[in-house]
Amino acid sequence: MTFVDFLNLLIAALLLAGIYAVMSVGMTVIYGVMKIVNLAHAGFMMMGAYFAYELYQRLHLDPILAALLAFPFFFLVGVAVHWLLVRWLPHSDRPTLQSLLLMFGLWLVLQNIGYLIWGNTDRSILSPRTLALVHLGPIIISSLRLVVFVAAAGCMAVLEIALSRTWFGRSVRALIQNRYAGRIVGVDDEKTARLTFGMGIAFAGVAGALLATLYSFDPDFGRPFLLRAFVIIVLGGLESVSGVALGALILALVETFSILFVPASYQPAISFALLVVVLVVLPGGIAGLWAKRRRLA
Amino acid sequence: MRNSSGSFIGRRKPAVATVLLSLAAGGLVLAGCAKKSAESEAIKIGVVLPITGREGKPGQYQKEGIELAIKQINDGGGVQVGTRKLPLKEVFYDDGSDSAKSAQLVERTMSSDGVTAVVGGYSTALGEAESVMPDRYQTPWITPGAAASSIFAHGYQYAFGTLTPVNLLGYTTAEFLGTLVDQGKLKKGLKIAMALENTDHGVDYGHGIEQWISQHPGYFKVVFSEKFDLGGTDFSGLLQKVKQAKADIFLSDAHLQDYITMQRQYIQSGMKHQMISYGARGPEADARKALGEGVDYIFAGIWWSDKLPYPQVKKFAADYQAFTGRKVDSWYAATAYDSVRALATAIQAAGSLDKTAIRDQLRKLDMKDSLVPGQVLKFGPNGQVNYPFVIVQNKPEAKVDIVYPKDAATGEVIAPIPAGKK
Repeated sequence: MTFVDFLNLLIAALLLAGIYAVMSVGMTVIYGVMKIVNLAHAGFMMMGAYFAYELYQRLHLDPILAALLAFPFFFLVGVAVHWLLVRWLPHSDRPTLQSLLLMFGLWLVLQNIGYLIWGNTDRSILSPRTLALVHLGPIIISSLRLVVFVAAAGCMAVLEIALSRTWFGRSVRALIQNRYAGRIVGVDDEKTARLTFGMGIAFAGVAGALLATLYSFDPDFGRPFLLRAFVIIVLGGLESVSGVALGALILALVETFSILFVPASYQPAISFALLVVVLVVLPGGIAGLWAKRRRLA
Repeated sequence: MRNSSGSFIGRRKPAVATVLLSLAAGGLVLAGCAKKSAESEAIKIGVVLPITGREGKPGQYQKEGIELAIKQINDGGGVQVGTRKLPLKEVFYDDGSDSAKSAQLVERTMSSDGVTAVVGGYSTALGEAESVMPDRYQTPWITPGAAASSIFAHGYQYAFGTLTPVNLLGYTTAEFLGTLVDQGKLKKGLKIAMALENTDHGVDYGHGIEQWISQHPGYFKVVFSEKFDLGGTDFSGLLQKVKQAKADIFLSDAHLQDYITMQRQYIQSGMKHQMISYGARGPEADARKALGEGVDYIFAGIWWSDKLPYPQVKKFAADYQAFTGRKVDSWYAATAYDSVRALATAIQAAGSLDKTAIRDQLRKLDMKDSLVPGQVLKFGPNGQVNYPFVIVQNKPEAKVDIVYPKDAATGEVIAPIPAGKK
């Protein structure tokens, strides 16, 4: 393998990591604050894809702009879903069967709404960017992937700033650390949970809209990404946003480079082998490892 | 409470009620019998196809082909069975592109629904799962969408398929490329990279190509061959390996969704080859819609084309458009349509609804007004047909031409792909 080939692969992995991070972070914040494994994440990603598709088809709106618009739209959807369904779930420090079933049911409902509205036809967005390439000397990059990566990285940066520099972010981090202690020091846990759920769903919608520019989709869209999101959040340590970014990068690097040594048909197995290894060797994920190091220091 | 004679007071009331209930029940039974009798006047055909899930689109096209054939047969009075003309009645199930569900639903049609025959199984994976049922229930089964030869290598007696084996697709693809070398359009000794789906379909396709190359030394050399999983979302790693192989021709064997995803990532990788094919996929409208000019010059070996110069093909294309409101897209509906016609012909020849007699007639079938290339639909000893493939090529402005064989060609092949394209 030449150096250029290596660089091409590295860039492909980095671009993939951006997409992986933005599709996983919504699940992480919801799990962190509410201990809910949001299986409906895939359903909201699918809805995000159709949101971008409809805006592109009807209003000829740039899909990247549609992805940005998806944030407030799906935030409101998330807040409404929380108000209608999620708030009735029993509070717990651990994921409950009720929450798992509710989210699974919601995913099925969303999927069937998708089939009802759009049928089973594969849709895709063919924009002027779809086939455009950026040539940097011998390195060729898909301009669409580059734009999607920038949008995804921007979303992650905004989330990081929101979590570290705002009252809402501090509340979220407090609840992730200890819900009851957070309440004692004055955090409105219900309001924070509602906004966090809205934000998690908003990220799912944004991720879906961004992915819609790269892949064709149908109402079952999101399922393979959901499985990867699980691997990433376990790698990242379930409750850490920066851990998610690193988990996404590791998964993307492993998937991209391992294919050079193993047949492509084993690619799905690579993710799950990684998941098993992390669960056995590093059950707290990367964030757990950092915390351990800090304690030791 | 008893009266003086020891009988229950008001006993007459329950007796009347019992009589009325018996009459009502009897009426319902008779009505049921009448309904059953009316139903038995139709020939039930099980149809199990994916109209949702990964294979939903081609499955839907096949369903439409089947329903068009059923409608036309019924409009013509039905199928002559002995002295009676009976209509065909479809018993449809969507398997959701799930092979376990597919097999289970075929079993249901054969064991519970009492169908005379089943038409089903789009894609090799689903067809493979269904194929174990026909012999178990001794019910004829025709697959219009599964072509892997492994399905027909088990010695099943009730399984039939209207798609020519995939290894012939691979063979014809290599043969077509060979003719381009003979015509001086491509150079001799070009290197081929293959990315094949990890199914019997992909294996057969690769074997077909390698078989032709081994029989014609010096024409081509396979420098890369690897399999990938169906329904993949990211092929960038695989395509990077293809790039490193520095081949001249890229041949893949993929299902529709994978074809669209892979071709999109192929373009985004900046690769260029002299010729590109995705096996039996290429001219589909969905691909054109998803990638626009990104699918120009791709060639495909397909089982049928609406460009075939037969009057029955023109009629079918027109009927299909009138029936669905859409133009016929690729080959899917045609083989399904012919499956039902083959079945109706066999039932008529059998003169009864005896499943073994119908099976025997399917074996003897020689349908000379078929839509398929060569116009003759005839099942081989293993139950699979063996008609030739046609090669089509996508051209700019959404044009698709048959480019091989020569006698069916509707346009000249463009080879190699012009510089600056792909």
